[in-house]
Amino acid sequence: MNAPNIEYGILGPILIVLAAALIGVLIEAFVSRRYRYILQTGTAFAAVALAFLQLVLIRQTSSKAAVSSMSIDGVTIVLQGSVLIFGFLGLLLIAERGFQSFTAQAAAIPGSNEEQKALVSGLQQTEVFPLTLFAISGAMLFPAANDLLTLFVSLEVLSLPLYLMAGLSQRRRLLSQEAALKYFLLGAFSSAFFLFGSAFIYGQAGSTTFDGIRKSIVESGGSDQFLLVGLALLTVGLLFKVSAAPFHAWTPDVYQGSPTPVTAFMAAVTKVAAFGAAIRIYYFAVGGLVWSWRPILIAISIVTMAIGTVIAIAQKDIKRVLAYSAIAHSGFLLTGIIALSKDGLNATLIYLFTYGFTTIGTFAIVTLVRDSGGEVSDLNRWAGLGKRSPLVAGTFTLFLLGLAGIPLTSGFVGKFAIFTAAYKSGNISVVVAGVLASAIAAFFYIRIIVMMYFSDPVEDGTSVVIPSAMTVATIAICAVATLVMGIYPQPVISAINSLAFFAG
Amino acid sequence: MNPMNYIYLSCILFSLGAAGVLLRRNAIVVFMCIELMLNAANLAFVTFSRMNGTLDGQIVAFFTMVVAACEVVVGLAIIVTIYRSRRSASVDDARLLRL
Amino acid sequence: MSLGTSDTLVYLIAIPLFSSAFLLLGGRALDRVGHLIGTAASASSFVVALIELNKMLGRDAESRGVTQHLFTWINVGSFQIDATLLLDQLSICFVLLITGVGTLIHIYSISYMAHDIDRRRFFAFLNLFIAAMLLLVLGNSYLNLYVGWEGVGLASYLLIGFWNQKPTYATAAKKAFVANRVGDVGLSLAVMIAFVQFGAVTFDGVAKGIEAGSASSTALNAMGAAILLAAVGKSAQFPLQAWLGDAMAGPTPVSALIHAATMVTAGVYLISRSNFVFDNAPTAQLLVVIVGAVTLLFGAVIGMAKDDIKKALAASTMSQIGYMILATGLGPAGYAFAMMHLLTHGFFKAGMFLGAGSVMHGMNDEVDMRKYGALRKVMPITFATFGLGYLAIIGIPPFAGFYSKDKIIETAFNAGGSKGIILGCVTLLGAAITAFYMTRVMLMTFFGTKRWDSAAHPHESPWLMTVPMILLSIGSITTGFIFSNGDRLKNFLAPVVDKHHHEHETELLAPIVVTGLAMFAVAIGISIALAKYSRKTIPASAPTDVTVWTKIARRDLLQDDFNETVFMRPGQSLTRVLAFLDKRVVDGAVSGVGAMTLRLAGDLRKTQTGYVRSYALLILLGTVAILAAILVVTV
Repeated sequence: MNAPNIEYGILGPILIVLAAALIGVLIEAFVSRRYRYILQTGTAFAAVALAFLQLVLIRQTSSKAAVSSMSIDGVTIVLQGSVLIFGFLGLLLIAERGFQSFTAQAAAIPGSNEEQKALVSGLQQTEVFPLTLFAISGAMLFPAANDLLTLFVSLEVLSLPLYLMAGLSQRRRLLSQEAALKYFLLGAFSSAFFLFGSAFIYGQAGSTTFDGIRKSIVESGGSDQFLLVGLALLTVGLLFKVSAAPFHAWTPDVYQGSPTPVTAFMAAVTKVAAFGAAIRIYYFAVGGLVWSWRPILIAISIVTMAIGTVIAIAQKDIKRVLAYSAIAHSGFLLTGIIALSKDGLNATLIYLFTYGFTTIGTFAIVTLVRDSGGEVSDLNRWAGLGKRSPLVAGTFTLFLLGLAGIPLTSGFVGKFAIFTAAYKSGNISVVVAGVLASAIAAFFYIRIIVMMYFSDPVEDGTSVVIPSAMTVATIAICAVATLVMGIYPQPVISAINSLAFFAG
Repeated sequence: MNPMNYIYLSCILFSLGAAGVLLRRNAIVVFMCIELMLNAANLAFVTFSRMNGTLDGQIVAFFTMVVAACEVVVGLAIIVTIYRSRRSASVDDARLLRL
Repeated sequence: MSLGTSDTLVYLIAIPLFSSAFLLLGGRALDRVGHLIGTAASASSFVVALIELNKMLGRDAESRGVTQHLFTWINVGSFQIDATLLLDQLSICFVLLITGVGTLIHIYSISYMAHDIDRRRFFAFLNLFIAAMLLLVLGNSYLNLYVGWEGVGLASYLLIGFWNQKPTYATAAKKAFVANRVGDVGLSLAVMIAFVQFGAVTFDGVAKGIEAGSASSTALNAMGAAILLAAVGKSAQFPLQAWLGDAMAGPTPVSALIHAATMVTAGVYLISRSNFVFDNAPTAQLLVVIVGAVTLLFGAVIGMAKDDIKKALAASTMSQIGYMILATGLGPAGYAFAMMHLLTHGFFKAGMFLGAGSVMHGMNDEVDMRKYGALRKVMPITFATFGLGYLAIIGIPPFAGFYSKDKIIETAFNAGGSKGIILGCVTLLGAAITAFYMTRVMLMTFFGTKRWDSAAHPHESPWLMTVPMILLSIGSITTGFIFSNGDRLKNFLAPVVDKHHHEHETELLAPIVVTGLAMFAVAIGISIALAKYSRKTIPASAPTDVTVWTKIARRDLLQDDFNETVFMRPGQSLTRVLAFLDKRVVDGAVSGVGAMTLRLAGDLRKTQTGYVRSYALLILLGTVAILAAILVVTV
């Protein structure tokens, strides 16, 4: 009997990141503390860059891999590329040392002598880098998975490091630990649903591969109750990850409590990975059950948009506002899945690609507004930022306009594409809801802009710190991407359109 | 014996686990209830494997155990840290983040 | 009407846009030449516009429009949006006005802003404004127009708030920002309705869709109303007019360019451009007329009570744009006259603003007319040019305003039935009031005894400022005759705004009678003003023992008080509908589309209890709901 054939070439991007993560663990264990930071960052950036290079080399691939447990096709390539780009930008923020976002020692009790000592000595543990790499590899596996088992394992590989990273904040340790606990408990809870649902789908289909499930639906006509129960439970697990209502409750708490660079990373990368996996499941595996899942996703999409936009209005904390905005964006993104067409597929990928840049840029700016106690996330204290530092406020305005979907920003292109796709597929109700929600959402983005420019600054020690080149680069890249893809998006749209096909 | 009985059993276990998550306050116990839910899923997988006559389900069960073990590592780390800083493992005490 | 193509249109926009970017990025190194570069860019754009006009006149009337496809903006498979420019008879009028008057104002600003350390930045913003305004009038679709629309909004906040060290200026910018946001909501609604109804957002596509009858009259009326809302916000029409007076806080050349000649007339452009919508949406068209008529009187009444010269001119702008909006609401007969008034107004009002700036320049930035008086001797050129603008605006033949305003009054009378009589009387009354308050401004500023204190040394402005004023005043003498002679402008515009060649409607009153009535109204206005202000001396401070009506008019007809009582009291049901204007929104304490949304948000927010277990319960409930739903839907 021959050993199964593993296609190392096309799995290369994932393997490179995973290998680098393992090397990172070894560095953490064996290398002297002085060299760790430089080695860890070097490994991480090199691995992500190499993986991206390999991805570019294999971009024409369209086949199953690892005994058809994975599917490396155009959709995967686009999603993995997005994950790598956003992972790189996230790493740049995480690696910022101009100011501290991460605790020196996660195990130290807040306020204890140990923590003080670690702070004073300026020692900084670097376990966050291998954790990030693990999360990136999970996020690359997730949309590539072609099998329920791989899907579950990659979900955990993505989530487990994130739970820990959420608890690493330097300031407000209690909040950060609480975010980690909440994220962990609810994440594990939802993945139990996910697994239980997988069991039922397997019970009916007799196979865990997506191809097997697809075939079984065609044969049975898809009215079997095990299959439907399984799909419902699987949907819960996925919707939790994309933070759609009513599975969104963790999002604001975790976004607020996590260190902001981690929030930026998580907001962009998790969204790409989770929607990538959802696309493959709804478009490919259970596409035959569209009449069962579409009405449910329509309802969830509308509720998600409504909850995200309406609650955001009453928020006073900038990170919570952005969390609710992320929830609303999940609602918009769901319309792309509801469309179930080539247009919808393209639009979802375009939306994810444009959204990632804007959202990372937004959180990157949040890391800059600080006082002596760390970041200032109270919205009222952002008043008058436009007078204090016009450049930062201007860039932030650009990102907010992008999130609101104003023409000439990338957000408009994504929204336009996704609503057009949903409209053409005949799902007018979600389009109407989406347009209304966008209109309401524009108000709370604009409210922040008004506050920054038209209110007088409060003298309370809030200031904008000058970051190192890494954060500057992140913000610059995100701003340019937001603007360029708003003014001249056609190359990106064409590239994604030509790549976005599933391997049969 | 009808294998469907095992599916019923797994549903009961899963519901017990879910009820435990909602009702218990101690983070460790909540976490154990989640483990119970995962194991219920394992039971379902193994039973379906038997019913379908394929081995996939049993393989999944092994992987789930490994994943659950990893979850324990991460989960206990988080719970222990929060216990050390708060002297309480009650999930209801952790509610600084809200509204 | 067939459209040719052109590959030179882009230069119109590109030149000022690049100049603006260059000036902003160039930094302090360009401080010494920034104003020259900015002016040269605007002038070059004007030259390109003249060349385009020349080319256009060379083509025959039905194929004068040209387009230039720049690039495909968004192509999502089944639907495509192009970045395409469209230059037809309607746009060229605007292009010439924007670049021509714009260039004169650039020249004026060189001297006016000479002592400002940020003059380079000012010129960069001016160029940015010119580019955005050109994009607005050159876009071939509602979406391209929208981009320009936002662009002029942005540039105008930058310019109004240019001296944002002073708190009142920032407040003014804020007010303008909010009114414009409300207008923007209207425009985006219009774009969405067009998209949903016709699957197109180009002017051409929408016009064809309407002709094919693919939209219900309700949808068309809704679209018309949405467009009107946009126009109301941008053009400071009732009930969103409050920002214009405050926007006078910006530098005076800005007021001349943005708040007299160009940006505020964007609403008129939008309605004229959307003529195919309004011609098929009678309800929306009626709304347009009402808004125009109300604003016309509203602005005129406010103008009577203002002592601040710029605010008086702003009120008059509001009123004159009311005339234009009213004319656009009168259907095919009105568009051309609205355009004519817009162009003549662009000349004489910009000239008067520059004149006001010149007066302020000589009077240490004093704006209170009660502190002026007898300036005609010390500032003869300013007096002459301002006076010519004055004769034009009140409609004395043969000055420009006479031709354009007279035509609007005539068309209003001919609107038919009681509507025609009411509108005709409103326009006549407006003309009388205009004559009154403009005469008042003239008398208080240039005649009478001098009321300035010894610290002021009024003097004539330098030639860089007077030359643009002289050129603009020549425009206010001649343009009316040029445009109306042989219905030149009307025939020129007909292929765009009057495709079906509507027959002349029956005349209620002969033109000569209308002219006579108008002259009579003007004469009354002037004589009352003369009686009131030329005989007795004008007190240096505003008298307080005046009637309650004067007080109300001084307070902008209570427009701020009105906004406060109607829109601010949270208990009132109207608040919830019109909470946009709620000052609290602006102040950031709360925000949203009204108290109800806010309350809903507050209630929903409470679901976020912070308890992990309640979140888990939410997940479980959601799961049960999905399970039940999927089984119900399928089985």
